[in-house]
Amino acid sequence: MTNLSLADLAGYLRQLGEGALITLELFFASFALAFVLGVLIGVATLSRSRLVRAAWRVYASIFMGVPSLLVIFLIFYGGSAMLAAVLGEFGARIDISPFGAGVAALGIVYSAYVAELVRGAIENLPKGQFEGARALAIPPFIMWGRVILPQVMRLALPGLVNVWSFMLKETPLVSLAGLQDLVAAAKIAAGATKEPFIFFVATALVFIAFSAASLWLANRLEERLDRGQRRAPVRSPAQAEA
Amino acid sequence: MNALPIDLDLAWESLPALFDGLMVTVFLTALPLIIGLALAFPICFARMSPRRALALPAEIFVVFFRGAPLLILLYLVYYGLGQIEALRNGPFWIVFGSPFGCAIVALSLNHAAYMVEVLRGSLLAVPHGIVEASEALGITRRNIFLWVRMPLALRYGLKAYQNEVVSFVKGTAIVSVVTITDLMAVANSIFEQTYDPFTPILCAAAFYWAFVNLIRVGFTVWGRWLSRHNAEDAPLAIPAGQALQGLAGRAKVTP
Repeated sequence: MTNLSLADLAGYLRQLGEGALITLELFFASFALAFVLGVLIGVATLSRSRLVRAAWRVYASIFMGVPSLLVIFLIFYGGSAMLAAVLGEFGARIDISPFGAGVAALGIVYSAYVAELVRGAIENLPKGQFEGARALAIPPFIMWGRVILPQVMRLALPGLVNVWSFMLKETPLVSLAGLQDLVAAAKIAAGATKEPFIFFVATALVFIAFSAASLWLANRLEERLDRGQRRAPVRSPAQAEA
Repeated sequence: MNALPIDLDLAWESLPALFDGLMVTVFLTALPLIIGLALAFPICFARMSPRRALALPAEIFVVFFRGAPLLILLYLVYYGLGQIEALRNGPFWIVFGSPFGCAIVALSLNHAAYMVEVLRGSLLAVPHGIVEASEALGITRRNIFLWVRMPLALRYGLKAYQNEVVSFVKGTAIVSVVTITDLMAVANSIFEQTYDPFTPILCAAAFYWAFVNLIRVGFTVWGRWLSRHNAEDAPLAIPAGQALQGLAGRAKVTP
């Protein structure tokens, strides 16, 4: 039934492994960019200025209302021209790789989601946290770094986990801009061996396994971040029986 | 150099083609939304069943079709199912032999898996006491589901449903990989003809944005209508000052 020799299979597995590494690199780089940009945008747009708020609404509306694939293509095709417009002569010489376009696009799109989460979490923090920091004359930089953001991370974690797993499922889109990632490798292997079913199911399972592993880690992290919030477990009789 | 990166003439010329693409996108959104929802109900019941033999396959379905990226699902259906001899000779080849059929199958399965979780979450959010009270009143199980649990679940789950529909619409942009000329594909082909990297893609972006926000507005109106009975304490989202305005002009809705 199968027309795969063992040597062929090993060769394809090696290619798939290399592709998987590229997918992982792309994913981590884009998530890191989205996270940093998102936190910065989230904090910056809390200002009372109407202009800043309006700019935030436009930014969020655009990137939440447009497919990521479109943003990837826009940056991949139009990135050089954009850089040239911004940086002048120097920018025109920068070539946009599929990897760079993918990181930039996914980072920008998901920074809007991260910023939204961060904003929501900051607004849910008790005002006393800010007032207390100010009363203790803690400088703003340290206040954000050591007081506010650690609490924000705890509140925003479930949402961030959502963004994480959503973003993971969008990383294969970059293969459409020509990145030789896991999905591209699977497509080549599927075409060459005439066994698309096996290769695509295996690729899907890799994604599922990775997202299951990261969910497990996220739960551990959540427990750890919640350690200051836990109270001594109160056993109700019903729970004790169960 | 032109300050605006958009070539207005090209944009105007390509409007009809982009609009045709949008219609394909709308079609590829509407049909899988219906099929996916229809599939989600039985799978959700199986998933919530106490019988392991029913719950386990449903759970596997959800984990697989939710966890796998849509692009891989599409490749799997388009390239992978053709391998199966029985399917190629069977009557369903009309569906699986065409790119449209494959896209609709892949999108529907993906949407169904997400909707199972949305439905399950909303049904579990309905307070158990209400269901018990209905049982005590002797209402049949079918009627409890139709007239007590579902209406409440719909209100609890509307936001999640909206999010899923919106991200689903954006997900349809990948169908161009199986040769369907949807909005994204039209924009890409215009780019390939003109090498203008901004005009076609930004125009397509505007269409997507309008479509997505139309859906958002629709859901907002639907949500208002669903909670019209408690219009006074509805301003969960609306500040107190605007509550009266909200009552007066219900048609005025911002996304």
